[in-house]
Amino acid sequence: MSGPVSAHSGSLGGYAVKALLKRNEFYLAVLILVLCMLITAINPAFLSPQNILGFLKTASVNGIMAVGVLFVLILGGTPDLSFTAIAQVVEYVVVLITLAFGGNIVIALLLACLMGAAMGAVNGFVIHYFRVTTIIVSIATANLYYGMLYVLTGGSVIFIVHPMFKRFAEFQLVSFADAAGGTWGISLIPLMWLATLVLGWFILTRTFLGRAIFAMGGNEIAAQRIGINTLWVRVFVFAFVGLLSGVAAIAHTTIVLSAIPNSIVGKELEIIAAVVLGGASLFGGKGTITGTFLGVLLFAILRNGLVLLNISSYWYDVSVGIAITAGISISAWQQLKAQRARVNVNVEEAAAQ
Amino acid sequence: MIRIPRKPGAAVDGPLYVILVAIIILMTILNPGRFATMSNIESMLYQLPVLAFLSIGMMVTMLSGGINLAIVSTANFTGIVTALMLKLMTDGDSASASATITIIAMAVGFAGCLLVGAFMGYLVAYLEVPAILATLGVMMLLDGINVVLTGGYTLSDFPDSLMAIGNDSVFGLPIPFVMLVVVIALMSVLLSRMPFGFKLYMLGSNPVSARFSNINAYKVLMGSYILSAAFSGLTGIVMMGQFNSVKANYAQSYVLVTVLACFLGRVDPFGGAGRLSSMVTGVVILQVISSGLNLMRADPFFVTAMWGAIILVLIVFTHFESWFGELRRMAKATAVNSEHGNGGPGKDRPRPID
Repeated sequence: MSGPVSAHSGSLGGYAVKALLKRNEFYLAVLILVLCMLITAINPAFLSPQNILGFLKTASVNGIMAVGVLFVLILGGTPDLSFTAIAQVVEYVVVLITLAFGGNIVIALLLACLMGAAMGAVNGFVIHYFRVTTIIVSIATANLYYGMLYVLTGGSVIFIVHPMFKRFAEFQLVSFADAAGGTWGISLIPLMWLATLVLGWFILTRTFLGRAIFAMGGNEIAAQRIGINTLWVRVFVFAFVGLLSGVAAIAHTTIVLSAIPNSIVGKELEIIAAVVLGGASLFGGKGTITGTFLGVLLFAILRNGLVLLNISSYWYDVSVGIAITAGISISAWQQLKAQRARVNVNVEEAAAQ
Repeated sequence: MIRIPRKPGAAVDGPLYVILVAIIILMTILNPGRFATMSNIESMLYQLPVLAFLSIGMMVTMLSGGINLAIVSTANFTGIVTALMLKLMTDGDSASASATITIIAMAVGFAGCLLVGAFMGYLVAYLEVPAILATLGVMMLLDGINVVLTGGYTLSDFPDSLMAIGNDSVFGLPIPFVMLVVVIALMSVLLSRMPFGFKLYMLGSNPVSARFSNINAYKVLMGSYILSAAFSGLTGIVMMGQFNSVKANYAQSYVLVTVLACFLGRVDPFGGAGRLSSMVTGVVILQVISSGLNLMRADPFFVTAMWGAIILVLIVFTHFESWFGELRRMAKATAVNSEHGNGGPGKDRPRPID
């Protein structure tokens, strides 16, 4: 019987291929490539740089929040559901404040981050001190924040935002002229997404804090025994989720140039699904930034592809549903298979002895 | 017949009844002459069953340590399939459908929801997908299918026989409420007097020992998700009769309210504990609060904010309750055997959260 090293993986390259085949990200990347080829074959406009930059820009809002979701999933336990409500409240309040007092984009961003972090930290403290599962606490805070937003503001839509948001949205790092006489280029919004991805990657893989988050996700009691301050790690994670929700709120405002009180809430399950599809485990201690990026990218390409293929947007939910159900079923099936294989090996060894 | 021994320290309904009475008194004071009227009580009896059916459906999955996020989507799916079948069999004039056709259409809709339940059960039991993910996927899939089936429109105009289910009354009581009473009676027998209920609780409290006790986890999980979906189907039919219409996104916010009802009824989200009577009392409390606030002409979003505030208050309340309980036990233990005291109430002992 083949042991852990199969006959094919004699060379170093074989090991690399084997390791790659075990990664969720690899299958996701293949799926994305196939999807891209399919869409391009039918509508070549998909591969134009304008289109790619366009859907990257739209996906940025979900993408930024997804990084926060990844942190919560790695920390372990049930997922957080309040981050979209936090983003919604931050968006509305920041738009109101900048309209009233002016200011510039940096101040708006700082304000958004501070507000988001404070609201997120509340979750962390409540979860730690009252020992309740994340999903219950976050349902509570989400309802509270979102309900209060509506009660206090009457839920009216703000159609005019401070002009700085428009300037920020139109700023192009590199711009090119297109055939129609207009210009297109790399705007700052996808770069905000890139920055959060890099920041998330850095914290998770290059700092002690990141190790602590993984350790708590693996086994919280063990993490506490080796001297990790579980209170502060947990509060950091939830504050970080809130902070990223604040950043996402600013990105969203610059894209839609209005503040609609129900435009972000309701996306939370889709974002969590994207992160889980990217390989993060609901049992904690597992997940990568690359996978998260690919998961969000897959959904963005699906949405964009349906538009380009002239398929009604009704089918978007169906395709997302199929993607999630199929994705989790396949990965669960693989895990089961691996588990059974392990059990078999043990039995054989026991019999031989 | 099996009798389930009461779980040590299981939640007793006492405090819930106190909360219920307190809230009824509060709402009567806040709505002088409007709350304690026959018409308000009657409208509450019409509204209660929908939330109660969904909450029981949620509870059945929570007892096994799972969750069913797709309950509302399954309910809408049942309604939509039934409506489309009616339309199909009557050539578009669904209001004129005969009783037989209505029953056939309802049976098809119900079969659809059982199929959904079986699919979720398969994912959770056989593929061992975490319940929250499996039902989330099914929820999104069903939401999509619902929109595609209806084209995003509202389907309406149903035969009188179907509307009677939602709106008529027998012996002066609304039909949905009578259905609820029957369902609660059946469920309480199923959960506490039948092998299935016993196995469900055992599986939820300790899956490994349940497996060693020769409990077929596949069958029990499959059964619990099919049962949960059946409650969604029932809700779907009742909602159809009450609103005289079906749509892809009716009652979406109820998913979280049912989680709240289970939390209020102290159903353990990790399985194995939770009493039907507590959960139903929790649902009644939520209905009283929402009806009372509604009478006060409160903003519906104020009600949303209230749900959040209630959960947070409950979290704090339960924490201090168990903290005091532990303190009392500790005091008793030290009184009996003073040299074996073992520290304060668990402050320095690490405890996992999830």
